[in-house]
Amino acid sequence: MFSEQAAPTAQGLLAPPSAEPSTFARAPVSTYTDCTEPFRLGQRSFSRQYAHIYATRLIQMRPLLEERAQHKWGSGIAMRKLCELQAGEKCCVVGTLFKSMQLQPSILREISEEHNLLPQPPRTKYIHQSDELILEDELQRIKLEGTIDVQKLVTGTILAIYGSEKDNGKFLVEDHCFADLPRQLPMRGPSTNHFVLLVSGLGLGSGSGESLLSMQLLVDVVTGQLGAEGEQSSAAQITRVILAGNLLSQSTQSRDTINKAKYLTKKTQAASVEAVKMLDEILLQLCTSVPVDVMPGEFDPTNYTLPQQPLHRCMLPLASTYSTLQLVTNPYQAEIDGVRFLGTSGQNISDIFKYSSMDDYMEILEWTLCVGHISPTAPDTLGCFPFYKSDPFIFTDCPHVYFCGNAPLFSSKLLKGRDGQQVLLVTVPDFSATQTACLINLCDLSCQPVSFSGFSADEDEGDMEIGH
Amino acid sequence: MQCFLCVFILQVTYKWLSYTLGVHVNQAKQMLYDYVERKRKESSGAQLHVTYLVAGNLVQNGYICHKVAVVREDKLEAMKSKLATIASVHVYSIQKALLKDSGPLYNTDYDIIKTNLQNCSKFSAIHCAAAVPRTLAEVSQAHTSAQIDSQTPNDMQVASVPVTNGQVPSTAKQASQQPKGIMGMFAAKSSSKSQDTHKETKPESKETIGVSTASSKPPAKGNTMSNFFGKAAMNKLKASSESEQAKEEREVTKPSVPAAEPKLLPTTTVEKPGKKTEPVKIQKKDRKSRAKRVDLSDNEEEKEAENLKKKRRRIKQPQSDSSDNEDGPASSISQEDRAPTPSPEPPPKAGLEPASTEASTGGKKRKRRRVLKSKTSLDDEGCMVTEKVFESESCTDSEEEFTKAKPASLHRQSTAPVKKDPKEDRRGPKKGAATASKANKQVSIMGFFQKK
Repeated sequence: MFSEQAAPTAQGLLAPPSAEPSTFARAPVSTYTDCTEPFRLGQRSFSRQYAHIYATRLIQMRPLLEERAQHKWGSGIAMRKLCELQAGEKCCVVGTLFKSMQLQPSILREISEEHNLLPQPPRTKYIHQSDELILEDELQRIKLEGTIDVQKLVTGTILAIYGSEKDNGKFLVEDHCFADLPRQLPMRGPSTNHFVLLVSGLGLGSGSGESLLSMQLLVDVVTGQLGAEGEQSSAAQITRVILAGNLLSQSTQSRDTINKAKYLTKKTQAASVEAVKMLDEILLQLCTSVPVDVMPGEFDPTNYTLPQQPLHRCMLPLASTYSTLQLVTNPYQAEIDGVRFLGTSGQNISDIFKYSSMDDYMEILEWTLCVGHISPTAPDTLGCFPFYKSDPFIFTDCPHVYFCGNAPLFSSKLLKGRDGQQVLLVTVPDFSATQTACLINLCDLSCQPVSFSGFSADEDEGDMEIGH
Repeated sequence: MQCFLCVFILQVTYKWLSYTLGVHVNQAKQMLYDYVERKRKESSGAQLHVTYLVAGNLVQNGYICHKVAVVREDKLEAMKSKLATIASVHVYSIQKALLKDSGPLYNTDYDIIKTNLQNCSKFSAIHCAAAVPRTLAEVSQAHTSAQIDSQTPNDMQVASVPVTNGQVPSTAKQASQQPKGIMGMFAAKSSSKSQDTHKETKPESKETIGVSTASSKPPAKGNTMSNFFGKAAMNKLKASSESEQAKEEREVTKPSVPAAEPKLLPTTTVEKPGKKTEPVKIQKKDRKSRAKRVDLSDNEEEKEAENLKKKRRRIKQPQSDSSDNEDGPASSISQEDRAPTPSPEPPPKAGLEPASTEASTGGKKRKRRRVLKSKTSLDDEGCMVTEKVFESESCTDSEEEFTKAKPASLHRQSTAPVKKDPKEDRRGPKKGAATASKANKQVSIMGFFQKK
């Protein structure tokens, strides 16, 4: 999209200075609505049990699932609660899934003195052959077996199973179904090409300067400094930039200072201070030219539990004077130019990755949409705020663009739902590793990766790779 | 423009040129190209190395990727041939030496941007109408409203919030300095003198719900939390036996003042004029309930009961001043929190109490104050034992303390006919001296054992 528009004047700047350099006006955002209200926590009280989330999740999703079940297996099937089960009767049960995993890190096991166990080393995947699925509803739980993929599913999923209870007390599953995509409001997108740039994983403060030039190139492209005139005019059509988390690198976490004695660390400054200053400067450059939404990520200075609250504006004194800077929550939901965006900084997907056999981030992303819940593993293995009134991670309506940040690779897919929903799924790659960002065209819901690179000494032979 | 390169400059990027000359970036790129062409035609012998920016489409991993790359001149054609469509080519920079990698380019750009941060989009090709810096008033408005929004769900106390937050006239100044105040909090790393418990203006017991975690750290251990609150937080509390001062200061500090600014309060008992006081606690408390909790976390006693007791102690304060005899009924209130004990209350433990008492008196001075307070406890014989407890951690105050200690011990003997009293008395002043000398040190752990 970009390149075709720009091609004619590509070499235009290889010429003596012309009289009037052209300036392009940034395409204005016609409508922007911030829909992050459900993710903003006012008063945070952690004195509640986490069981309430599961209870409200089940209550909210049960009607949806019952409807889906009847749609799939016929309206005559018996919907039963676990306490009403009779042996041998074919029925449908709706409940929450629990996967008991042998390798799941358990704090109780760690501190148990009897076992004298060393803490478990972190692994990429915690699945094991012996994992079992258990279905729980309001009152009871039952073990599942049968045609159900134990390795793929994760704890916290609400699903409907069809089968019968056997004599040994387990439930033999013949089929199961999820909530599937919710209803989608029609998209009232812009008529001309408007772009939104998605970047994640800037990774500032990492101490390695490889991606710094690429980041500067990114900022320059967006602010219209780089490129020939054609490209600049295309860049003027970028109406928004969304930074999807991990603005700071993992090395700014500096957890080792916790273990050091105080007198050693007294005068040292946290690594994140410098990184935040750098972030402030970058944001300032961006904000003078384009509206920016900043989502916090796993390594950013905000709370750990989902939903992560916006970064505080006091950390970004230079950039926060501009109204184009928006500090938003993770997950983030907004309507930009009539297109509904919903996305996270990737913690939900990577957590499911750890506890499921699914390997592809795009597959997991699509799966969460089909299951109807942004992050089913919260609060079991992913930190979450103890909600009790309602679970804000349940999809209420289908977004038009659903993204997750900090993925290992870029991928995008246009998913078509059963009821005519169309969702663009995007996995935004980690910029510090791949130097790639995503450009989404709001007009036709297409997505293109944009990658940046400089050059280095070891490029003299061999092909040029994407980024280095 | 030629002069720039004639003068010895290692490297000129288009951005550097644009900012230095004040021209549009595209013009700068063209000027660079022009210069290169002319210099090469002249073939004056000076070797110029040029880097170009190439952008275009590239098929990669099944996606059509838009690639933007900075390449050296020798790699330019190779890159152009890789791209399916070329979107732009222009000169990125000129340098005298051959660049091994693009690091220096970044550094040049970074430096020039740093010096021009405020108008970094001035010469860019895209102008955004919406990117207008907010004026100070708008910033403070947004800041205050955000604070009030976050405050009202958090805070449960009613009075303080509207009083301090809702002061719109002073808001602008306050809020604009609040960010700085917060930055001051983040930035200031004060050396840790021994700080003691910070005063709290009002014993907002509701605030203390979240307090539990923090320090049973003795105060003298250089709390990071007090570091957190900036240099002004370092000053010691002066034990205020004057409740009027407490009240007066409360009123004085209520009209909110920029948080980070240390303030000299008009207290009569300021014996150390050099020390600045920190009304931070009030504002911070009002601004953030968390500051309050941090406040209290510095106390040695964080239990809610203790805060209630502080409330009571505050009431008792004037009474203790006036007459020792009146301490009886007042002191008895404090009994509810402690198991009645016949054993003496040693000054180390007294150190704990007056510390929090000092906090509760709301002395706006951060100096350690010696607090004379009576504690009445029930002896095992059923006799009321009234003890004067006091503690001072400031050496200069120790003399006064001694004088007060003596009358206290004498008084004690008169009020409570218990055998153990003489022992208490003797131990009392001695311990008082000991603790005075240990003013800046950690409170002894023996305090816990003697407290019973």
